Amino acid sequence: MYCKKECIAMLLAGGQGSRLYALTQKTAKPAVNYGGKYRIIDFPLSNCINSGIDTVGVLTQYQPLALNDYIGKGAAWDLDRIRGGLTVLPPYQDGKNADWYKGTANAIYQNIDFIKKFDPEYVLILSGDHIYKMDYAKMLDFHKEKKAACTVATITVPIEEASRFGICNTREDGSIYEFEEKPKEPKNNQASMGIYIFSTNILLEYLEIDEKDPKSSKDFGKNVIPNLLRSGERLYAYPFTGYWKDVGTIGSLWEANMDLLAEKPELDLRTRFFRIYSRNSARPPQFVGKTAAISSSMISEGCSVYGTVKHSVISGGAVIGKDAVVCDSVIMDDVVIEPGAKVYYAIVDSESVIRSGVTVGRPDAGKDHITVIAKGSDVTKNAEEK
Amino acid sequence: MSTTGFIFSNLNSNTLSLLTSDRTVAAIPFGCRYRLVDFALSNMVNSDITDINIIANYNFRSLVNHIGSGKDWDLARRSGGIKILSPGQEARQADAFVYSYRLEALRSIRDRINELTSDTVVLTDSDHLCNIDLSDVIAFHKANDAEATFVTVQSKIGDFTRDPQTALQSDAKGRVTDIVRSTGYDPDHPFVSIRIFVLSTEFLIRSLEEAVARNYHSFTNDIIMHSPERRRFYSYCFNDVVIPVTTFLDYYRANMLLTSDAAARNAILGKWERPIYTRVHNSPPTVYHDGCCVKDSLIADGCLIEGTVENSVLFRGVKVSRGAVVKNSILFGDTYVGSNSSLNCIVSDKNVVISDDQTLSGAGSTPFYIAKNKRI
Repeated sequence: MYCKKECIAMLLAGGQGSRLYALTQKTAKPAVNYGGKYRIIDFPLSNCINSGIDTVGVLTQYQPLALNDYIGKGAAWDLDRIRGGLTVLPPYQDGKNADWYKGTANAIYQNIDFIKKFDPEYVLILSGDHIYKMDYAKMLDFHKEKKAACTVATITVPIEEASRFGICNTREDGSIYEFEEKPKEPKNNQASMGIYIFSTNILLEYLEIDEKDPKSSKDFGKNVIPNLLRSGERLYAYPFTGYWKDVGTIGSLWEANMDLLAEKPELDLRTRFFRIYSRNSARPPQFVGKTAAISSSMISEGCSVYGTVKHSVISGGAVIGKDAVVCDSVIMDDVVIEPGAKVYYAIVDSESVIRSGVTVGRPDAGKDHITVIAKGSDVTKNAEEK
Repeated sequence: MSTTGFIFSNLNSNTLSLLTSDRTVAAIPFGCRYRLVDFALSNMVNSDITDINIIANYNFRSLVNHIGSGKDWDLARRSGGIKILSPGQEARQADAFVYSYRLEALRSIRDRINELTSDTVVLTDSDHLCNIDLSDVIAFHKANDAEATFVTVQSKIGDFTRDPQTALQSDAKGRVTDIVRSTGYDPDHPFVSIRIFVLSTEFLIRSLEEAVARNYHSFTNDIIMHSPERRRFYSYCFNDVVIPVTTFLDYYRANMLLTSDAAARNAILGKWERPIYTRVHNSPPTVYHDGCCVKDSLIADGCLIEGTVENSVLFRGVKVSRGAVVKNSILFGDTYVGSNSSLNCIVSDKNVVISDDQTLSGAGSTPFYIAKNKRI
């Protein structure tokens, strides 16, 4: 079928997210719960549809069950289309090989046929690890205007954290002359967001080159981008301003949730413009009982609150019993906090039960000592981050 | 064999007139995030009835908007799915009219009914809220080889309705022996119809032929009550919560019941294996600000609460500003309550704006209604 597209997106959703430990034992990182009713992957998918990109390949690898189940055929993001739409792209076996995705670049390389099917002028490479709202159409305009071979979206990060990122060193016109992956001594603080737009012919050419290089670790940041630079291709940095959060660690995931509780949150989920879509689970409205006391919190559908909830994010279907206390915590789907239980500075993954009288975390733990309760735990003893 | 569902969207619109000035009964918002039709639809979908027709008559634009493709009820199907049958079907004929009785509605879609391949049909209104497994009713209907099965509740001493209801007398096996119209508790006819009917398709087609031949208009008066003892009519008594919503006061009390009665709330909304589906809005979770005070309330996603809310039902996108007090009220989608305003026993329709420092109060027996888009 003829289905030419100007630009398609390839979303790398196979990452393990090993620094999220217990939260990603059974779930790929993009399927991790965030903000009461979202999963991390809702953000890039909603950004795509809100930017007019209706063809998205989602590359999965690590623990894909929960992720596949969640994204389905993409209907929640209006991506169940006859032409284009959402396609899940797991690693596969062909006549000669059966390979896992060996790196970000190799994952795309293995799906070149998918890209070619749409004969796009541009390919947008995304990752499923970040919380942000971004209009990719504007970045694409920038890419066209600069006649770039590749455009890298960048964000200003604190200089002391710059060594954790890929840093783009640019000239005044925004063209990149050097790309350093996790430099020990960063020259500036313009970090790559892991979002790239490639002109398709360039992408295909350099993926072939990279694939043939036995020394390459098949990674965009480490290999492909530096390779483009060495060959003198036109690389540009597209500076993004706005809320962007890498939720790769327990601390940053907790923090990203708490950011939503600010009086005027930087990431506005309430505005009708650029709405973030998520899979809906037909839960009843939330019920707040006589004994409840709620402040500075976000609570989702299907919850029943009879206890105290302070400065916390509560996901769908959670029950907070009478005299229970939840402070500075993230409570995920269908968790039960039994009457009298106390939860401080914690992330409680879905379907867990905190039994009566149990205390999780410490009231003075602070953001660097978040206690994590793994999915489906039955917590009968006090638990604290070690 | 499969079952086809028919939902009447707009019977009794006159008794709910405040809420139906620009919408049909089926599209009346209810319980934070639903429309009345969601209950009838979800009951059918949860009972594997996936060929559903809504028979609209007038004011059905908001219903069409709500249903869309039917995807949110899993009813966007190639085979079956949901159809809204508009009333224009007889408009070409000289006797063009918009139905006001169930039988007239069915007569207007006779072509469709004559083509049915299913052997059973379920007819329901959208004004009796319950969470019922219709497959049990259908199994009962088939086991009895019934022509029609009425879903009923047992009436109690003290029950009273302004409008007469259909009350049934039945034998030990549930076979109907007599039918009367009644406005209250009647020990001889203890089973009251909740307007969910299971009919054999063959009986429906035969009844419609008779109705055309004899120019009958009312399903209950002209067909059902006509010597029921000679028919194979059965009463299926449903022993769970049923909330009638046939008048404005009923409507108000039904919403309040959900905030005050946990058993009723769970029986209607809380059955996890039989969820009530509705149109998805993608609202973010509700934000509770510092200093808010919320008690005994049912709250949808997408609200922002800074003030006090007690015994109330808040639909999506409601904002209650700092210092505002909302009690015993039902606030439809996107109602804005300004700071230090006070509301008691209010039903505000969609998009109402109540500015700062207002005091509005109705009474539990006569709640005060504020029309859509009004600024106060």
